[in-house]
Amino acid sequence: MEGINGVTGSVDEIMIRTENLCKSYRQHSQYEVRAIYDISVNISKSSFMVFNGPSGSGKTTLLNIIGTLDRPTAGKVFMYGEEITSFSDIALARLRREKIGFIFQDFHLIPRLTSWENVAYPLIPLGAGFTERFERAKFLLEKMGLGDRLEHAPEELSGGQQQRVAIARALINNPEIIIADEPTSNIDDETSAHVRQFLGELNARGVTILVATHDTLFEKIADVTFKMKNGRIV
Amino acid sequence: MNKHFNLLFLATENLLRHRTKTIVVCLCIVAILTPFITAIAISEGVREKSLISVNAGADLYLTFDEFGRNAAVPLKYLDEIKKIFGVTKVTPRIIGRGFLQNKLAVIVGLNKEDIPESISCISGRMFENANEVVVGHELARHFHLNIGDQFSMRCQQRKTFTVVGFFSSDSSIWGSSLIFMSFRDAGELFGKQDVSTDIQIYSLPGHNSEIATDLYDILQNEPYRLQDKHMIGLYVKKGFMLKEGVFSALYLVAFALGVPAILVAAGFGLSERKKEIGIMKATGWQTLEVLELISFEQLLISLMGATIAILLSILWVKGFRGVFIAQFFIAEITMLPKFPLPARFLPLPCLLSFFLAFLMTMVGSVYSSWRASTVSPVVSMK
Repeated sequence: MEGINGVTGSVDEIMIRTENLCKSYRQHSQYEVRAIYDISVNISKSSFMVFNGPSGSGKTTLLNIIGTLDRPTAGKVFMYGEEITSFSDIALARLRREKIGFIFQDFHLIPRLTSWENVAYPLIPLGAGFTERFERAKFLLEKMGLGDRLEHAPEELSGGQQQRVAIARALINNPEIIIADEPTSNIDDETSAHVRQFLGELNARGVTILVATHDTLFEKIADVTFKMKNGRIV
Repeated sequence: MNKHFNLLFLATENLLRHRTKTIVVCLCIVAILTPFITAIAISEGVREKSLISVNAGADLYLTFDEFGRNAAVPLKYLDEIKKIFGVTKVTPRIIGRGFLQNKLAVIVGLNKEDIPESISCISGRMFENANEVVVGHELARHFHLNIGDQFSMRCQQRKTFTVVGFFSSDSSIWGSSLIFMSFRDAGELFGKQDVSTDIQIYSLPGHNSEIATDLYDILQNEPYRLQDKHMIGLYVKKGFMLKEGVFSALYLVAFALGVPAILVAAGFGLSERKKEIGIMKATGWQTLEVLELISFEQLLISLMGATIAILLSILWVKGFRGVFIAQFFIAEITMLPKFPLPARFLPLPCLLSFFLAFLMTMVGSVYSSWRASTVSPVVSMK
């Protein structure tokens, strides 16, 4: 199917659909700044989608809204046909817990926790016991090549290592969707390649990947690349 | 259930991780609560001792009434009162105050045969002859008095007393500045013969109202005042409630000044906390789970602070004899009491202290945490 704004995917495969999404901010209570404007996209299940564009083009805002970290000023987001923009905060938190994993540009690790504690943090409110939390975090960190850094605090890790810890945390709940905001912008080339490869492998296993990035190398592994400019898909 | 245990353990770990903040908040709680708990404990202790004294005392207290105040009772009625049916014992006494040099002392004059059994000397003996006195330990210590020493009071310098004994340091707190002498000597000291400040009447159980009726017949032309044990008990309770009330009012001011300190201390690392809450929300934590974690942290820190405050209060009262605070509740006591104070640590004030601590820390943290957890995670994480 040719979706709105030229997005691929058959109707029954569509996992996320946005309708005329707008987000604007008020600066100093006077000026309204439009971060994104009238964006409608269809995102297929198990697809790898890249949102590319210069700084301020609105790609992070779009992914934040799709990932339920932020609410749109106007427009709707549907997940499996259900409108999630009208969900309560509780329902959205449950959705993030069950279906979405986030990888942030600044890693957003909690400084006073060790690597494994950061990775296992989302499991605490699920009632997982200490051993289960530790084993699952250890498993993921070993997969990320950080088996010897379990007890290290974020400040004792390099940027690349911190990003890998953040990726492990995003995977701890076996999410269906990974949303990555500039996952390679703060890390070296070698680690960037490792991150791209890892996200590609995840996608091959059926995880839907949405990436906002400047990194053009992502386009090689993406199913679809959206170019964004001034809050619109161009 | 596991979730709640997880959150409780995490709260404990968070307190250990933020040691500086935990210690500062704890110190604030301790600084605010310790004087409060100490004061209440001393007040309760003194009140209990007072009530014990009242209960062990006479059933009726007779005084005359002059200008609406207690006045001396002529001893001429003593024999008639003794004859009233139901009266088992009648004890006249003189209680007054006078200066021994520059120190105010309480003078108690009682006939030797009327001295209660509960009163005993730590050293020396009870008075037997004229001009012999037993002195409270506080006075004795202050003037370095020894048995056999002689002194005279400012109000009657021609009369010289000889010290024959001392009250023990663990006797009633009122014994500390007491000079105990015969009824006759006390009358001579104050220049009042044939009167007593009050007459204590001991009675058979259930006879008080009949005795009161007979007293009315005896004293019908006199302005007199009759108070029973129950009324005296109520006065004691009221007096302490008033003192506690004044102290609590003063304390509320201190408390109000202390809350900002807690707020500042609890606000340490607020931006870091806000970001952390944003991360928690982004990774699927519910607002209620975030608030539960914060509440557990405050609960633990309050428990810790209140427990330390209670322990310090016990040390303050038992180890340091309520230094600086006892004088709020015990009249004519120095800032540095030289004798152990009566104190009672009741569960209710201790629970109240914990509740206050919890309230203070919650005020300092929950609102900001709630704000951080109800905005979009994107905003919190900035």
